[in-house]
Amino acid sequence: MKVHVDGIEVELPAGTSAIDAVFQSGGDVPYFCAHKYLSPVGACRMCLVESGSPRKNPDGSFVMEGEGDAATPKIFWFPKPMASCTMQATEGMHIRTAKTSEVVAKAQAGMMEFTLLNHPLDCPTCDKGGACELQDRAFEYGYGASRFGFDRRHADKHYPLSDFVILDQERCIHCKRCVRYFEEVPGQEVLDFIERGGHTFIDTEEGGLPTGFSGNITDICPVGALLDNVARFRGRNWEYDHTPTTCTLCPVGCSITVDARNGRLERIVAGENRDVNEAWICDAGRFGHPFASEERLTTPLIRDEDGQLVPATWDAAIDAMKRGFSGMRTADIALYLGADSTLEEGAALEALAGVTGARSVDHSPRYEVSVTAPQATLTDVATADAVVVIGADLGEEAPVLELRILEMLRGGLIPPEFAHGTAIADLRLVERPARRPERLAVIGQESRLWAHAGHRVSANGRGALARLTHPDTDELRAVLALLEGAERPVIILGADVLNGASGSFSANLSDLAARTGAKVIAIPAAANSRGLAALNLVPRAGGLPLSRLPEAAAAFISRLDPGTRAAGFTVVHDTHLTATAQQADVVLPAVTNYEKRGTVQNLEGRLLPLHPAAIRTGEAADLIRTLTALAEALGVKAPARGLRGAHALLADRVGLNLSDLPARGALHTFHQTFAAPAAPHTPKLWTERMRSRDRDWVDRIQDLVEGGWTLPVAPAAPQPGGDD
Amino acid sequence: MTYFENRQPLVADIFSRYPDSPQGRRSALMPLLREVQDAEGFVSESRMAEIAALCGTTATEVRSVMSFYSTYHTLPTGRYHLQVCSTLMCALAGSDELWDHLVETLDVQPGEVSADGRFSVQKVECLGSCGTAPMMQIGDDGYYENVGPGKCARILASLRQDLQPLPDNPVPVTVGTDGRQVLATGQAVGSSVTGLHRLPEQAGGDA
Repeated sequence: MKVHVDGIEVELPAGTSAIDAVFQSGGDVPYFCAHKYLSPVGACRMCLVESGSPRKNPDGSFVMEGEGDAATPKIFWFPKPMASCTMQATEGMHIRTAKTSEVVAKAQAGMMEFTLLNHPLDCPTCDKGGACELQDRAFEYGYGASRFGFDRRHADKHYPLSDFVILDQERCIHCKRCVRYFEEVPGQEVLDFIERGGHTFIDTEEGGLPTGFSGNITDICPVGALLDNVARFRGRNWEYDHTPTTCTLCPVGCSITVDARNGRLERIVAGENRDVNEAWICDAGRFGHPFASEERLTTPLIRDEDGQLVPATWDAAIDAMKRGFSGMRTADIALYLGADSTLEEGAALEALAGVTGARSVDHSPRYEVSVTAPQATLTDVATADAVVVIGADLGEEAPVLELRILEMLRGGLIPPEFAHGTAIADLRLVERPARRPERLAVIGQESRLWAHAGHRVSANGRGALARLTHPDTDELRAVLALLEGAERPVIILGADVLNGASGSFSANLSDLAARTGAKVIAIPAAANSRGLAALNLVPRAGGLPLSRLPEAAAAFISRLDPGTRAAGFTVVHDTHLTATAQQADVVLPAVTNYEKRGTVQNLEGRLLPLHPAAIRTGEAADLIRTLTALAEALGVKAPARGLRGAHALLADRVGLNLSDLPARGALHTFHQTFAAPAAPHTPKLWTERMRSRDRDWVDRIQDLVEGGWTLPVAPAAPQPGGDD
Repeated sequence: MTYFENRQPLVADIFSRYPDSPQGRRSALMPLLREVQDAEGFVSESRMAEIAALCGTTATEVRSVMSFYSTYHTLPTGRYHLQVCSTLMCALAGSDELWDHLVETLDVQPGEVSADGRFSVQKVECLGSCGTAPMMQIGDDGYYENVGPGKCARILASLRQDLQPLPDNPVPVTVGTDGRQVLATGQAVGSSVTGLHRLPEQAGGDA
């Protein structure tokens, strides 16, 4: 299909919207209400273009213009500018944007004037300032002045929609993105326009937004109306250090951007990764970051003469470890690490265990069973024609997976990719989409997903898979029939079935998958459990698992909080003074995954990169560097002293080259996995530290004032070299 | 207690007018709202939730639709709900003075009900009686036209004794409980002229 945009001819797939045609041609159109992953509605009227199409005579020939060979199909222009986001581009269509059309430029400037009529001029105090679509478009396409000489509309400027989201009703420009988001993405119709005309405002009647995916509306709001309450008033957009990285609170591995200011993690916004989270993240991933900046350990702690933990230098900590481990065989020191550690850290620990000969090595949480059935990707889930979720509470285990399942229910549409990226207004996305609940079966405990499922079977997780293979009720028979009748079925397994799954489980699952042609996602226990399973990080013969920590002669525990200690000398490497750290002999400060460089593998087997955000962490160190300190205390040579060494170890050990990992990640299957009996694991997304614990700003400001602090104002005297 | 609990035949009748699908159920929203408002004078939050449950939607959706129309009330109204037209013609003819007078003498603000429970007031947009401005409508009963100071005083005095004077003109078109539009004379208008018929399936009537 050929379309002419401002005289440039572009070749486009049928069904493309006019706005995408313009972007594909390299042009620009301002827009507020259109959004890559939401249905186009044409609410803001900013994306006006002039358009016209050739017309055919009754005999099928084109109505021509001009004489003889110079004749071209005559273009019949629409009498008025049209909203390009809701208009489908057609063969031979001509489009004029503001670049070539005075009419369009004037119409857009006029629309902008309307939009700004009631918009308060509080950009200097607005959190969106500097990253505001309205600001940018007003600069590019507005008149620059308002002719409206009357009072603006006044409304509530601090209207809490929930604990996490605050609405400024004056700033809202009624683009309806948030309303459509809730209807179309999480399938919760909890937000809508109230009143009409100039009185319209956004509100909910459900007593607050449901926690889960509500934070995404703060990302998609084109103005500063919906704001992230955790990050509100914490910094301006140009002050933040933006770090695109991967969220490791659950095994989905959503793309996020971590914004830090003055060494504090202040805000997390969703990144875009079409293969993983599209543009959405869960509330825990967005709002649950206070732990990265609050009550952090910044120096090592050692025991003084009174047995109290006191701050010390790394050298003193290494000396303390030397004393503590003296006279002990290095093989007796148990090594444990949290399963959200990176692959590089895992490789470093595995290699060190090889050097010390440690038998008690473990990572946690993890499941015993390793699934060998064909692996489904998240895109497979979104495009499946049947999904069976067994024993999973996705809200706790992998929230964004739930969104991908809901995407499947509304037709599994994935916008096509253009040279300019994802379609801005994919016309196949429709408002209030018809869902197909009959394609989703949920077996297990009741969860949030139940409301969307056509088949619900209440079952105890343990035997759920066996019961599905040999159905004993009509409900289960219906689910099995759904699986067998589907062309692209996906089975999703959660903690309830994977906990304590025995050896025959994997074989049964493979049988079922082979019989029905299903692909499988077994949700790993933690962010990188899947990746770490490829390394020998499980108890070797005679070794102790983490659950038997109290029997260990001595232990090094990294970022785990079992709440107990080893019988002998215990070293804890953690970000906070946890219950375990309080019992330790030496505590070493760790960095969170927001501050690491490394690689994790998500639930579909995609390797995703971590990048370090600019967060002040004192002397905290990641596991690789901490292990060099441990090696020094033990008098052995550390196999990896840094990230590059760990990469070399990984290349050597599992043939993995991580040096050129694309930003979107890459699927990878490890050929060998290590499994061992594991303690049952209860997934829990929100932990206590993820909610901010120092909210007493007033007190802190009071302290500052009483402490004689004054606002740092530039001295009045002229500065050498001017005062710019 | 819920409003529709012991009115199941009525609910069934309302739903029978719409396709038996999730979208069809949502369409029953307007008559259900009208039913509650006619009976109680306003639609409270609990009623919104009840209607939402009946229609298979959320209370937010119900409130959104309801707040779009100025004829649905979320706050209680008095026995005589005085709706003063405030659009251009009536404004030129003195509707602002009429409004100020009503608010002052009845001692009610919009959203309030006078102490005796009789009066509530509301400014409304054009009711299509511009030739007889200023005008107001009382409840759903009819138009009181050319309401000057003397006429206003007479109307209020009668209302205080619960003797509502006959309106100068009935409301031009009303919608009956069966969903049909009729003139005050009883003559069917709008689509009611030809009767409401089910569209043939092929024409996409229920699609």
